[in-house]
Amino acid sequence: MERSNQNEKLATNTQNNSVNGHFESVKKVRSRTSGTPGETVSRASPLMESWKEERTRSVEDNETSLPSIAAAYSTILSGLGEDPLRQGLLKTPWRAATAMQYFTKGYQEKIIDILNDAIFDEDHDEMVIVKDIDMFSMCEHHLVPIFGRVHIGYLPNKRVLGLSKLARIVEIYSRRLQVQERLTKQIAVAITEALQPAGVGVVIEATHMCMVMRGVQKMNSKTVTSTMLGVFREDPKTRDEFLTLIRS
Amino acid sequence: MEYRAYTGMNGLGNSKLVTDLQCLKEFTELSVNSKKAAVQRNQETSRKESEDESRLPVLEAAYATILRGIGEDTDRQGLLRTPARAAKAMQFLTKGYHESVYDILNDAIFDEDHDEMVIVKDIDMFSLCEHHLVPFFGKVHIGYLPNKKVVGLSKLARIVEIYSRRLQVQERLTKQIATAISEALQPTGVVVIIEAVHMCMIMRGVQKINSQTVTSTMLGIFREDHKTREEFLALVKSK
Repeated sequence: MERSNQNEKLATNTQNNSVNGHFESVKKVRSRTSGTPGETVSRASPLMESWKEERTRSVEDNETSLPSIAAAYSTILSGLGEDPLRQGLLKTPWRAATAMQYFTKGYQEKIIDILNDAIFDEDHDEMVIVKDIDMFSMCEHHLVPIFGRVHIGYLPNKRVLGLSKLARIVEIYSRRLQVQERLTKQIAVAITEALQPAGVGVVIEATHMCMVMRGVQKMNSKTVTSTMLGVFREDPKTRDEFLTLIRS
Repeated sequence: MEYRAYTGMNGLGNSKLVTDLQCLKEFTELSVNSKKAAVQRNQETSRKESEDESRLPVLEAAYATILRGIGEDTDRQGLLRTPARAAKAMQFLTKGYHESVYDILNDAIFDEDHDEMVIVKDIDMFSLCEHHLVPFFGKVHIGYLPNKKVVGLSKLARIVEIYSRRLQVQERLTKQIATAISEALQPTGVVVIIEAVHMCMIMRGVQKINSQTVTSTMLGIFREDHKTREEFLALVKSK
């Protein structure tokens, strides 16, 4: 009921990697008309289209689904043995629902909206690195935060991107229910699609609260994932230069 | 002063407090402090471990609603069992509700003729903010001046676990830990300091990444005597 007559796409399940020549993406499109249950249809869509149409949620959707999310949180509070009527918890369902919508606001945003303006033609073909971008995401398996740092490097091919746009790309993809591997790949692919650079490298080092607060409970563990595309993948010297510069 | 009244109450007769523990609904003519203690024990085991399994389906359904509400597709591979995992994770993160200090401490209090400060510091603590249901975590430093009774060291960390694995506010957590230790040991003084980082401030809202919140509770001699307090703070800060 949250959205009728609106297409819901799998925003985070695309596994496109056209730079390597593979094309494994399959996107399911579920259309919900009012009253009838959804149908799931699989279709493979062209790369550019998938990049441009990733929004599964709008600002209006947020407002309409807030009450049901808040009710769900209320149920959770009583299910945990707490008293939802005590002073500290009275408005918690609403706060928690708004917080959860904020943590998944990446679903409302499209790359094409934030990037369209800030691509410039520059005669620059040396590596550009933006490192130590703080990243906060949510583990899609346990709904518990993941946080860490993202380091992005690319070798422009006559086109450069506004620097803050790299951080905004990180924001769009990280503010979702994610798996760190997929997040790294999505960021790299988005930059590739936008700029067609000679190469892109993305490294993420993150701490997973699902491993620190529960389960194995290893306080100091960090997970590092990386995606190297183009010349970063083929040329070890370029990759080395990138890795050295992000370490310094 | 609050602490002095406490020792008076405890001196009156442990049996009265034990009776209170057993007849949770009877609040007799005790002082406000021990009423608070009784209420605390009432809430300490507000959830039974055996009930956890039966409550899982309700929690799972709630999580499934949340996933749909945020615009995700609950049938995709990564999310298929997420409601179950998230429900279990949330139960784990709030397992402090089934535990009570009384149960874990009863055995490990020993009579030792030691009256110098005992400090256990850098105890990692993970809790959930009761306002946003988002984690906050940090370190707890506990110090106490025994009065002929010492407690097993890991029990201090277990007390932290019991109270932190709940929906909490950092101020209340600090006070609950200090109060539990005072009630159990009747020491000359107790101090608890918590330094924590709140994800609700870092991931959302003001988004101040390097902010830390420090709260402390000083009871007994730590409150009255500034030299004792300074000794504790110096020992905690040293690496």
